[in-house]
Amino acid sequence: MQPTTAPARKKRQWTGPNSNMILGPAMILPAVVALALFQYLPLITAVLNSLQSFSPFDQSSTGWVGLGNYSDIFADPAFRYALLNTFLYIVLMLALTIPLALLLAVLLDRRLPGTTWARNAVIGALAASEAVTALIWNQMYEPSSGLFNAILHAASLPTQPFLTGGSQALVSIVVMTVWKDVGLPLLIFLAGLQAIPRELHEAAQLDGANDWQIFRKITLPQLRPSIVVALFMVTITATRMFTPILIMTQGGPQGATTNLALYSYLQGFEFQSQGTASASVVCMLAVLAIVTLAQSYLLRGQQEK
Amino acid sequence: MTASSLTLQAENGIDRTARRAAFLHHGASILLLAVVGAVFAFPILWAAMSSLKSTDDIITGTYPLSWSSFVPLKATLENYVYLFSELNFQRNLLNTLIAACGQVSVAVITSSLAGYAFARLNFPFRDVVFGLLLLTAFVPVEAIIVPLYRIMHWLGLVSTYPALFLPFACNPFGIFLMRQAFRDIPVEMEEAARLDGASPLRIFFSIALPNVRPTLATLVLIQFIWSWNAYLWPLVIMQDPNKQIAQVAIANLKSIPNSPMDGPLFAAATAVTIPLVILSIVLQRYYVRGLVTSGMK
Repeated sequence: MQPTTAPARKKRQWTGPNSNMILGPAMILPAVVALALFQYLPLITAVLNSLQSFSPFDQSSTGWVGLGNYSDIFADPAFRYALLNTFLYIVLMLALTIPLALLLAVLLDRRLPGTTWARNAVIGALAASEAVTALIWNQMYEPSSGLFNAILHAASLPTQPFLTGGSQALVSIVVMTVWKDVGLPLLIFLAGLQAIPRELHEAAQLDGANDWQIFRKITLPQLRPSIVVALFMVTITATRMFTPILIMTQGGPQGATTNLALYSYLQGFEFQSQGTASASVVCMLAVLAIVTLAQSYLLRGQQEK
Repeated sequence: MTASSLTLQAENGIDRTARRAAFLHHGASILLLAVVGAVFAFPILWAAMSSLKSTDDIITGTYPLSWSSFVPLKATLENYVYLFSELNFQRNLLNTLIAACGQVSVAVITSSLAGYAFARLNFPFRDVVFGLLLLTAFVPVEAIIVPLYRIMHWLGLVSTYPALFLPFACNPFGIFLMRQAFRDIPVEMEEAARLDGASPLRIFFSIALPNVRPTLATLVLIQFIWSWNAYLWPLVIMQDPNKQIAQVAIANLKSIPNSPMDGPLFAAATAVTIPLVILSIVLQRYYVRGLVTSGMK
């Protein structure tokens, strides 16, 4: 690898093709092999498998069925609920997480006594595992012996079914996930807030702007790039929600909390149906693509106004 | 009494008055901060408290609400004793540690090598490969888990330790992070070494790598925490109970029919979570930077 040419040509070697034609590709080789084998191969397999049918006995392909798997899953009410729930998770997570993170970021941005305590607590929740926090919240949600109902009971309020109630289970899971994951957009917003020049606020204050006006006219527009990033991250988090659902409700009651991630997991591992599992995975990726594309379209449109 | 200590005293005095003024002026905000901290810290602290209660106390003591809903009035270590003697939980912790160390090693190797190549070297299709890499940030593991399992099966790796971390050897986040760090090194440093006759590989090891130590620390921490917390993939790929990681072992305690394991469950959750939470808070400078950079494309 040692260059052997005259000093006058050294500059060209560094950026030019000679020495790097080998070194560059060699250095990315481990990553590229892993990328091809463990990311793209499964992804392509999933797309191809969604167009085939499989023997239930030995999992071998029994031929191409076109869009047969897709018409099968769309005929399955459980899938249609899972599709709907996936959108519900995304909408609820965005609607709760982003404003809360924004609020907390503004609160934490000022250096006050208690800032460190609150920030450490948020980071702690973020660093704890989904599985463990789901197990802890599962105990707190427990309808007959759980802490939340104990508190409601002590306050003379009606106790709630939480995870066992068809209409409450999904919201209960979302609340737990917001508690756990709000830290990520919050930290992104905090970094964004710290990048805003202080002079902007001071100038606005001198002009007699109140806190709300400063937030609306200075902070929010300046935070725009951070908000775009946070929207994407929360959308991905919400689309892939899985572990808390599996641990807290297994998708129940009656499929009320099943999303596409769980549906495809159940199809693939419980029902050993690779074709429909793959088809629902493709649908999940399609949902993710549609939502993120819609977001970037909407946000771009706003910027041009 | 010297002049400098006098000014120090005066500054302290000002500081104290300023703090008192801050308390009065921002009383509502400070109260709010205290509440926010309590809300976010509560579930984990409550689990740690409950791990010191017997399983019976946990089941009967929480409802209706009383002091024993929150604090262990008859504190006991029996859950931990049971966890580490009967359930052999140290075995699971060791497995988690093995998986996390494996994950950190492969991620550091692939990310620093590829990150440097993407940042500093020119070769054909570089930007295409980088684009394909970043695209996978949008593909969650939940989406590819069924075919990924088939591939591991085909490689003969099901229920082996490498199966726990090898599929995540290439992660877009790590490579992106390292690429940014290598880009921030002044080109002049590498130029100087090159003029002294150092080979590109030598420059990578003796100039570039030592200059990105803080970013390497971020990468190690993020990958370690990520692997420590992994649940779904180990659940699927590890069918040998002796090699199962802690997160899955804890979740299994939830569903033992007719024998409630709430005490050991809280103890295991505490043993796995508290050290990690403390680590993330102590090293939050690195942790937060890693999380925020991962979002800043």
